[in-house]
Amino acid sequence: MFTLLEQSGFTRVRSAVVPRFRFRKTSTQASAEAFGVKAVMMTAVKAARA
Amino acid sequence: MTHPDEAQAGLELQLKDEIIRMYQEVADHPTGEFHFFHGREAAEQFDYPREWLDRAPVGAVASFAGVGNPHLRSELQPGETVLDLGSGAGLDAIIASWQVGAAGQVIGVDLNPAMCLKAQAHAAATGTTMECRDGRMEDSPVADASVDVILSNGVINLSFRKRRVIEEMHRVLRPGGRISITDIVSAKQLSQSIVNDPKLWAS
Repeated sequence: MFTLLEQSGFTRVRSAVVPRFRFRKTSTQASAEAFGVKAVMMTAVKAARA
Repeated sequence: MTHPDEAQAGLELQLKDEIIRMYQEVADHPTGEFHFFHGREAAEQFDYPREWLDRAPVGAVASFAGVGNPHLRSELQPGETVLDLGSGAGLDAIIASWQVGAAGQVIGVDLNPAMCLKAQAHAAATGTTMECRDGRMEDSPVADASVDVILSNGVINLSFRKRRVIEEMHRVLRPGGRISITDIVSAKQLSQSIVNDPKLWAS
């Protein structure tokens, strides 16, 4: 998503992992970890007109 | 043979139905157990201030199904126009409305018309307003360059067409406008069996 934001014209794209996100079920959490699934917080700005 | 575009459109329709079903279930049965944390427990986990959660309608808090807290970095200012993509039962939109005040405006967009009505009722119950529009984030029912800030909490990952969603976000933002979103990302390509199963994708 980070790349998509930049490709779509957003600037100052920032991301950070949401620290306490996890799935309730242990089996779901294990599958998520296997796929590198995580929650992220992202901010970005639409460039002002030149 | 089915054209790939037709197959994709069919999957998207199934996914839409599954998303509506799942999040309606959370709203209708907030005491139920889901594979994700929800309600006040989840909101507190993501550092939503307790005074916000005490002030918001119980139904909006109980139906919260976000994956983080987009308000931590939104820096909303009085008078701003905010768009909440996938506004659900309205908790994030209501919190935004408190911050932008009467001079501002909060617009929600949600796939589910029933959730839109619920979100607006929740907002009214706290003495504030939000306008919820029934629609898809891939074709947001919002005018070009009309929004200062976009919030979203755990919904963009549900779309098959994320590039389109982000292009729409760029279209509706004013120059200099910003986004503050929380969402689920995956470091690995999901298997085709997951991609082709709307129930798994919606999860």
